[in-house]
Amino acid sequence: MPLKDALPTQGRFSQWRPNWVILTLGLAMLAAVWGLPTVSVAANRIVSGTGYPVWQALSWGGGALASLIILAMMVLASHPERTRLSYVAQFAAMVLLLLLMPFGLMAASHWLVDASQPQARLGIGPAYWVVMFLALLGLIELRLRLSLARGWMALLLIGIGAVWLGCAALWLDSLALVQEFQVREAQFYQAIRQHLALVTIAVSVSIVLGMGIALLMRRFYRLQRGGFALLNFFQTVPSLALFGLLLAPLAWLSANVPFAAQLGIKGIGWTPALIALIIYSLLPIVRNTYVALEAVSPDVLDAATGMGMRTSQRFWQVRVPLALPILLEGVRITMVQAIGLTAVAALIGAGGLGAFIFQGLGQAAMDMVLLGALPILVMALAADAGIGALAAQLRRGAAYD
Amino acid sequence: MIELRNVYKYFDDTVAVDDVSLSVPKGKFCALVGTSGCGKSTTLRMINRLLAHSEGEILLDEQAISDYDPVLLRRRIGYVIQNTGLFPHWNVARNIGLVPRLLKWPASQVRQRVEELMQLLGLPVGEFANKYPHQLSGGQAQRVGVARALAADPDILLMDEPFGALDPITREKLQEMLMQLQARLHKTIVFVTHDMDEALRLADHLVVMRAGKVIQQGTPLSLLQKPADAFVDSLLGGLERGLKQASLTRVKDHMAPLGPTLPAQSRIPARYTLRQALSMMLRDHSERLTVVDQHDMPVGELSLRKLVKEAHSSEQGSSRES
Ligand SMILES: Nc1ncnc2c1ncn2[C@@H]1O[C@H](COP(=O)(O)OP(=O)(O)O)[C@@H](O)[C@H]1O
Ligand SMILES: [Mg+2]
Repeated sequence: MPLKDALPTQGRFSQWRPNWVILTLGLAMLAAVWGLPTVSVAANRIVSGTGYPVWQALSWGGGALASLIILAMMVLASHPERTRLSYVAQFAAMVLLLLLMPFGLMAASHWLVDASQPQARLGIGPAYWVVMFLALLGLIELRLRLSLARGWMALLLIGIGAVWLGCAALWLDSLALVQEFQVREAQFYQAIRQHLALVTIAVSVSIVLGMGIALLMRRFYRLQRGGFALLNFFQTVPSLALFGLLLAPLAWLSANVPFAAQLGIKGIGWTPALIALIIYSLLPIVRNTYVALEAVSPDVLDAATGMGMRTSQRFWQVRVPLALPILLEGVRITMVQAIGLTAVAALIGAGGLGAFIFQGLGQAAMDMVLLGALPILVMALAADAGIGALAAQLRRGAAYD
Repeated sequence: MIELRNVYKYFDDTVAVDDVSLSVPKGKFCALVGTSGCGKSTTLRMINRLLAHSEGEILLDEQAISDYDPVLLRRRIGYVIQNTGLFPHWNVARNIGLVPRLLKWPASQVRQRVEELMQLLGLPVGEFANKYPHQLSGGQAQRVGVARALAADPDILLMDEPFGALDPITREKLQEMLMQLQARLHKTIVFVTHDMDEALRLADHLVVMRAGKVIQQGTPLSLLQKPADAFVDSLLGGLERGLKQASLTRVKDHMAPLGPTLPAQSRIPARYTLRQALSMMLRDHSERLTVVDQHDMPVGELSLRKLVKEAHSSEQGSSRES
């Protein structure tokens, strides 16, 4: 073979376009695995734990295995030929990594936690969190490359989550997060119920109210500017301040109107929380309802009237169905926002998962904070994906031309 | 029968339609032509009461449209617009069945009517019934638009630049389709367009508008023979006018009986237009053509000299009339 053919030519060189996203994520993961503490071990709940690097937590073999999986993915990502098979393999590598991670924790627990000390506990270290986060980012990138349906992706994530939960329930008693959970299991489920109830009530009330306001604004043009200005203003008030602002009038109401007191209306607790949540939720609902109804093509509406539809027929059969995807977008934003804001509502005694977060912060018990924060994260992601999928489904039939 | 008597439309202080009078007899095709913004759409939309006229009278079958319930009136009038206005969330069959459903026809009858119309407009039912508007080409979508307008078999069809957004080839196909439909269905049609050739091709009656006013109206031939002013003349194509007129005239109306002389070499079917005859004369360097019937048998003769003379005399004749 002539020498010049054996050398990489200019052309071949410029064709070397690796998937930089995956390569960068892989590098960052390797750095995290070897550079950050993998787990921490504490003698009891109060003292702060000692961090252990990967070679102590998972042994050299464990560290090497993780690195090998990440490296394999990077090699595939830097290969010039981008076949579907290669993407599938990279995807599989990420999934494998996520599935093996709880078993790593078990190994760490076995090696590092003294079984004779029931108080001793294992904390999940920064390396774990970072790798998990980066692996999820990688999955999102690869999902786009593989154009994998949302449904399958959701199922996969649920599956991975189930493996984690199973491991935690069966074999990871020493994990601090699990211990925090076991101590307040009843409280935990109660908090989830409260949280969901607050969010559901607040979002449903603001859907009804918000859509009503949007319709009024369409009918009475002059309401528009003032209405939006007011709602925008409320959005900018910090949530805690809004709770505070509601405290005095509600306390007064409860003290002076017996009926209000009977209903359980108080300056603190669920009443101000619900009111504040509804106020925050109104803007996205009103805005999206308004925009959605106005965005329907004038030609379509002209045809509807011209063909002899009555105003109500045109509204319900044409305007509303065509507005629905944008309207649902508003519901999605509101829902995610309300799930987060409800955490803050715990500060005024409304309960919910936020209670764990603020108690944990008060006691400097980070694992208790996590016990509150993780379910909130999962709820927000689920609401986001679920409503997003519904809107996409609706949009498919009605794609605008 | 549609009649507008001294109709005005004001938007605030602008006059969009200025003293328009016109009448479209039953079964006739009337085209409103003019540059954009001259009030064509406004005139059209007053007929189905999408807009209320400010002054004057609009009559449908001798009855003022204000006597009708606007919604019921619109269900009796087919309406086609430029961007189709198909409902994007409904499939083709459901879009076409809109008015029959509004009129509460039984479902089986609606289905039957939809299939009938799809066939009539060259949309195979199996292929198109379940498609959504965004899956259709421009031409297919406008066929659906026309089918939807015809669904409840209205006597009147209002069309606002229905083919304005289509490419020339598709446009010509749909014009052809509309002509065939009209030959069968004899609807009373008001058709808005800014394309004079389209109007000349389709209409029985032409109405030229400018700045809200009717400048001239009449049959396509009468306009071509005697445009009222330079504006109408330029709309009609100025120098091209002669050829456009020729393209509206059939050979058989101008042929002379076969003479004693030998027939010319070039032959033209009697149903062709004078424009095609002229083109053939130029191509074959021949001042005379033999006119043949559908069996290619000579039936007459066409000569350039006679054509030029007749065109001249008919112009004289029409100017004497007016
Ligand atoms: N809803 C309206 N409000 C105010 N002016 C209008 C309205 N509709 C049309 N016009 C004006 O009336 C004139 C005629 O418009 P239109 O009938 O749409 O013209 P065309 O269809 O011939 O292009 C234009 O000058 C236009 O700006
Ligand atoms: Mg127009």
